[in-house]
Amino acid sequence: MNSLFESALITAVIASTIRGTTPILLAALGDTYVERSGLLNLGIEGMMVGGAFSGFVVALKLNNLFYGFLTAGAVGLTLGLVFAILTITLRVNQIVVGLGLTIFAQSMSSFLHRVIFGNQFPILFGAGDTSAIPLLSRIPFIGQGLFNQHWLVYMAFLLVPALYVLMYQTRFGLRVRAVGESPWAADASGVNVNRIRYYAILMGGLMASLGGAFLAIGDLAFFVPDMIMGRGYIAIVVVMMGKWNPAKVCFGGLLFGFALALTSALQVAGINISPDFILMMPYLVVIVALLFFARSTNLPSSLCIPYKRGGD
Amino acid sequence: MLPGVKQQMNANSIIKLTGITKRFSGVVANDDIDFDLHRGEIHSILGENGAGKTTLMNILAGVYQPDNGSICVHDQPVQIRSPQDSLRLGIGVVYQHFTLVPNLTVMENLILGFEDGLFLKVKKARQKLQEICETYGLFIDPDREIRDLSVSERQRTEILKILFHESDVLILDEPTSVLSPAETESLFQTLMYLRNGGKAVVLITHNLSEALAVSDRISIMRSGKKAAELSKETLTALGTETGSDKILELMFGAVPLPDRGIVEKVSGDQPVLELNQVDVMDSRGRICLRRISFSVGQGEIFGIAGVDGESRRLLAEIIGGQQRITSGKLIYRGRDITRTDIAQRFELGISYITDDRINEACVPDMDLAENAILQSYGRQPFSHWGILKWLSVRSFTEDLIKRFGIRAAGPDARVRTLSGGNIQKFILARGLSGSPGLIVCNSPTYGLDAKTVAFIQDLLVNESRKGTAVLLLTSDIDELFSCSSRIGVLFNGEIVGSMDRGDASTEKVAKLMLGICE
Amino acid sequence: MNKVALADLKPAVLSIFSILCSLITGGIILLVIGKNPVVYFSLLFAQGIGTSLGVIESIIKMTPLLIIAAGLLPCFAAGLWNIGAEGQFLIGAMLAGWAAPLLSATLPYPVYLVAVSLLGAAGGMAWILLPAILKARYDINEIITTLMMSWVAISLVTWLVKGPINDLSTVPAQTMIPFTRIHIGFIIGIVTLLSMHWVIRRTTLGYQFRVMLANKKAARHAGMNIPRLTVYGLLISGGLAGLAGVSDVLAIKGLFQSNWNPQYAMAAIPLVFLARLNGWAVIPLAFLFSFLAVGGEFVARELGVPVFFVHVLEGLTLLFFAASQYFEKKWGSK
Repeated sequence: MNSLFESALITAVIASTIRGTTPILLAALGDTYVERSGLLNLGIEGMMVGGAFSGFVVALKLNNLFYGFLTAGAVGLTLGLVFAILTITLRVNQIVVGLGLTIFAQSMSSFLHRVIFGNQFPILFGAGDTSAIPLLSRIPFIGQGLFNQHWLVYMAFLLVPALYVLMYQTRFGLRVRAVGESPWAADASGVNVNRIRYYAILMGGLMASLGGAFLAIGDLAFFVPDMIMGRGYIAIVVVMMGKWNPAKVCFGGLLFGFALALTSALQVAGINISPDFILMMPYLVVIVALLFFARSTNLPSSLCIPYKRGGD
Repeated sequence: MLPGVKQQMNANSIIKLTGITKRFSGVVANDDIDFDLHRGEIHSILGENGAGKTTLMNILAGVYQPDNGSICVHDQPVQIRSPQDSLRLGIGVVYQHFTLVPNLTVMENLILGFEDGLFLKVKKARQKLQEICETYGLFIDPDREIRDLSVSERQRTEILKILFHESDVLILDEPTSVLSPAETESLFQTLMYLRNGGKAVVLITHNLSEALAVSDRISIMRSGKKAAELSKETLTALGTETGSDKILELMFGAVPLPDRGIVEKVSGDQPVLELNQVDVMDSRGRICLRRISFSVGQGEIFGIAGVDGESRRLLAEIIGGQQRITSGKLIYRGRDITRTDIAQRFELGISYITDDRINEACVPDMDLAENAILQSYGRQPFSHWGILKWLSVRSFTEDLIKRFGIRAAGPDARVRTLSGGNIQKFILARGLSGSPGLIVCNSPTYGLDAKTVAFIQDLLVNESRKGTAVLLLTSDIDELFSCSSRIGVLFNGEIVGSMDRGDASTEKVAKLMLGICE
Repeated sequence: MNKVALADLKPAVLSIFSILCSLITGGIILLVIGKNPVVYFSLLFAQGIGTSLGVIESIIKMTPLLIIAAGLLPCFAAGLWNIGAEGQFLIGAMLAGWAAPLLSATLPYPVYLVAVSLLGAAGGMAWILLPAILKARYDINEIITTLMMSWVAISLVTWLVKGPINDLSTVPAQTMIPFTRIHIGFIIGIVTLLSMHWVIRRTTLGYQFRVMLANKKAARHAGMNIPRLTVYGLLISGGLAGLAGVSDVLAIKGLFQSNWNPQYAMAAIPLVFLARLNGWAVIPLAFLFSFLAVGGEFVARELGVPVFFVHVLEGLTLLFFAASQYFEKKWGSK
């Protein structure tokens, strides 16, 4: 009896961790490129919320999950574009723009949700369906946890090696790395600094919104105003901790996914701690992580500074 | 000249500048310059700071556009509007501040901007690099990150980058200022290889002996104009001793120096400032200043000449307090201030006037009144118990403006709106107020017009007459001789000579500055 | 003389323009969801400032905004971004809710008020201390750290109130003006706001903050102690955010509940930017935001436009303000 219980617990924890990691991972993978190119995107939280809400609404109304994800992506790209125009072309303060976008997206989502659904919080049935990979999901202990997940989960983790290759072995990745560290050197070598940054933030917006959409229609099947709960900012920290290396970012994401999964895990295990107390965990972990990992961080030198040839 | 020979010369001509003029807010940096460059030669541009060499180079590099004049590359008239244009024309520049991305490897830096397709064709690039290395005898490990490389290795990488992009022209801006003698030798070897391989090299320098060692032609610039052009034959014909003297004369000119009558050294018992065997290490662990020892007495103007801006600045900063010293002692009026912080040093009476007018000395977006108290805000009458008395600050500022003839709308004028000369006057005025005991100024008249220069120099001399000790750091020999009662020379991080003004001569000092030992 | 006056007006014009743009955009959004913006806004204005009840409610709701904004003024003036004011607010409020019943019984009235206020402010300062140190010593981005601490605070406070500190006994709310619920907190708000405005412009501390933001290199060169200034700046804003929490609890609710989070900080941040860090400008703007919220609540019931709409306007205002910065830079450099 005991061993059965334990194996179920382990599977649940693994599954929960993987699920919990995915939104943060998606957002963080995109943000890796954004930060590496020298932009600080505080609007990432808003992009996740926007993706979550728009994905949910469309999926519910059109009864089609895929359209939901598509819409979420479009919303993310749009928000990213707004950020780009304001901060890259108009060279306005990135912090103000990011905060503004987040406040706008968060409040807009809550507002529209109330408008469309009134005081109800409808649930999307069929969301959260998983697809099990034939042979692998039969592996004891970890099979169900790792290989019976939503397709977006698989995609997220497959993106890790793909984006790693993109970062270190392609032209785009090289330019992103150059632009973030020395935009003037990149410019002198003929790289269009602003264009690279545009691509980066569009990518960041897209992935953040997909991460949010996953939370709403791939995991939880509903939308509540505060559902993102700082995951966007956690993603930023994960990116810093992972030193903009997609592989390390993945590990960082897993760490937080695990912290988030602890809530349910501990409850399942019958440990009687108030969920509110456990909710604090991820954020405390962030601060501890910053303390240990961010002390010697070399942030991209051009972070947060708009670029203009010849200097400001 | 025989027509046939002339034609041959044209075929070899890569760059031809005619009548290039460039102005920056009233200062003429380049005044009707003609310059040409042939294939297979090393052509040096020699001149002191502010002569206009860097501006000319930047015009070729596409950073600036000339106000007048024309540029021809391979006998075709061209416009160089951006660094990309310059690269495309086959001109490569190695700047003093390198344009390499620190967190990327050598290989990645070489490929950047010229990648071939989506994926980085590293193998192909490596092969090409290998070929270039073998052809020119330059070796570097392509997988090391730039930030781990020494300065001379980075320079080598910059040169390789230019060769990688198949440029015909290499322009090097003061390349030896950061190299050791051995590294300099190696660089010259490389340059000669390049020359022999048909490339054209422009060497911008202030170091006379080096220019003589490696150049086929030397163009001398002074105060924005081209003073002369000497070919190798002329130089060999003149012989080294006369050659150096002639060049020095062309570089610095035989200008009658204003007699300010400051030759007498005021004798005081205790020197105001004393440096004792001071060593300074930079962030990378290199020793930049070595065994610096000197003293400045009351009422004395000790002028230290040095061409290397970085060394001068460091020396100034260790006295001002912005830079810590690694070993040795600093003594001010008998008190050991080695560990004292900036604010305290200011309170003690040390006034440091930096050469970085816009970025360090003031806040450009604030007005004159707010800038006037940048260090003195804690003092009476400007503030009392933490509360600022703006009325006092403003009347103080107005007073400064009047007394020093600063051209500004008033104490409310933003510093950014003032001209360079007026900003410097303001900074100096601020530094002189409050009766400091020691004034340290670094290149105070750099880039200013003659009238302002004279005004500022008079100010300094007057201060010294009041008993203030003045340490003047400069690269301008004229200035040195106009103001100082004692002269020292800083070269390669060490004080290589120290003498009373009466014992000094322009040639002597110039030679020491350029590293020519007697 | 004329030139000076015109230059001063430009920032104000841009701020007003940003507000107008956001109102117009908000109106468009209303149209899209099928509501009549003219009706909405006229009702909102009518309720918000048309009735005495509306005005009073607006003033009451304005108070925490004023105090938080007062704290943000010196902080932003130094280029320090305290985005976790929410958490500091809650900590202060919780401490007030816990201590008030205990102290009101044992201390004379004015002393009790001061004591609880100090406790709340201290709580806010304690909450921002860690981010302040991390920034001062290690240059760790304070936006993230204050935000994270804020999230921790939300959960912590909820947990504490549901659990260990379970005393929800009320304390009589403080009134000042007869027949209204306007309380002394309002005066405190105005006073702290204008004091901070004065501090920034007329004290050596404020001067150092401003130099720090304008040109950090020059500040260092002049010998200013940047780490110490960083800590001061952040502590001030943390303390005042905590004080705002105290005022809300003591004066309005009389108690502290576990799931109450009025999100004043989310409104205070755009507010301070729009006001160009000018204390005098904060007052009308805070009133504006406040009556939008009050009117918005009323209209929400009447017209079915959710109260969140006000926050949408806040977000839009911040975005338009950001965009307007571009024009300010262009015009400023002329």
